[in-house]
Amino acid sequence: MTPISFNSGLSSGIYSPELRNLRPQAPKENAKGIDGGEGLDPSLAQMPGVSNLNQAQVGFDNVLGKFVNEVNSKQMAAGDAVTGLLGGKNVPLHQAMIAMEEASVSFQLMVEVRNKLLEGYQELLRMQV
Amino acid sequence: MLGSSRQKVMVNGLFTQTNYQGLKKMLDATVMRHEAIASNLANLETPNYKRIDVESGFGEELSRAIAGRDTRDISRLEPRLVLDKSASSPNRDGNTVQLDRELLALQQNSLAHNMQTQFVTGSLMKLRSAIQGRTA
Amino acid sequence: MIKLMPGLDSSAAALQAERIRLEVIGQNIANSNTTKTASGKPYERQIVKFETVLQDKLGVNSEAVPLLVKVAKIAKDTKPPKEIYQPGHPDAKPNGMVDYPNVNVHEEMADMIASSRAYEANLAAIKNARSMTLQTLAIGRR
Repeated sequence: MTPISFNSGLSSGIYSPELRNLRPQAPKENAKGIDGGEGLDPSLAQMPGVSNLNQAQVGFDNVLGKFVNEVNSKQMAAGDAVTGLLGGKNVPLHQAMIAMEEASVSFQLMVEVRNKLLEGYQELLRMQV
Repeated sequence: MLGSSRQKVMVNGLFTQTNYQGLKKMLDATVMRHEAIASNLANLETPNYKRIDVESGFGEELSRAIAGRDTRDISRLEPRLVLDKSASSPNRDGNTVQLDRELLALQQNSLAHNMQTQFVTGSLMKLRSAIQGRTA
Repeated sequence: MIKLMPGLDSSAAALQAERIRLEVIGQNIANSNTTKTASGKPYERQIVKFETVLQDKLGVNSEAVPLLVKVAKIAKDTKPPKEIYQPGHPDAKPNGMVDYPNVNVHEEMADMIASSRAYEANLAAIKNARSMTLQTLAIGRR
């Protein structure tokens, strides 16, 4: 499998189900956004072009939250495998090693996603109005 | 935990290629086969010992599952140890282990293990390359 | 004990059993001409009896399990001693026959070759297990 096929997996398998969730939904009560509080100024939400922005933050927040939880459960699975190995239960060494590597790769993905988000945010800040 | 009860689509999507899943199962079988060969060699002189091995159909089933590109088939397969019924008894004492064949199986299994670990490492390194955007 | 190397229990147990067997064979050969031991009788040949022990089940629904060998006991061979006519020998019986140990050196040599072969085979198994484990530990590293 070449990196090219991996990228196509990215676009078709991994993110699109979540991207489909970003269709406009009813605004949630306690929408948290970039401000970390009430999101954008509610009066702005009345303006036509802005209403989708708030819901997009809500959807993307969910996506990120699920992502972090999945990476966390991968880390816990790897920890369980190592505990089983050290505790003398019948966990084969290769399964523990592979679990650790998969957890590491998932974590690396999360770190890179975070880096890209930060880059994008900083570029956004740099934009001249 | 929020995401664990629902199907893990995002992170596990990294690891669902059939080749990679198939390799992991093959690795399970290879390690199990080494246990069988070690037991056979240990009982070289035991009267009436019958040689054991991984179930012979497992390799074919796994090949078919990998070719079929369905990871659920692959995850359903499990290797197991059985008595090797096709082994004949060359000794008077009923022992069915033949030393030369067993040693050959040992070496082949070792090489298969080498190949499988290298391919697994290769898959993981490719994922890392794609994530980081670098080749190192 | 952390299960790092596959098949280690079987191989290690076999190495120990074969080593004991080799020692006993060596002792038999060394004493093949001992006509009088501390007990007053000629040396009695010793035989090693192996027994197999079931290991823990491996994997799900495994029909067969690896078997461990161990030495059950070291018994004395009950064959009668060889009698050779040597009237001038200090340990000769009244009828001139001397009792020699019931050790057949050729048989012992054949056993020794078989035991060495088994020992080397198990050693090869352990070497392979070690290299497999080292490769496993290097998964994900280039």
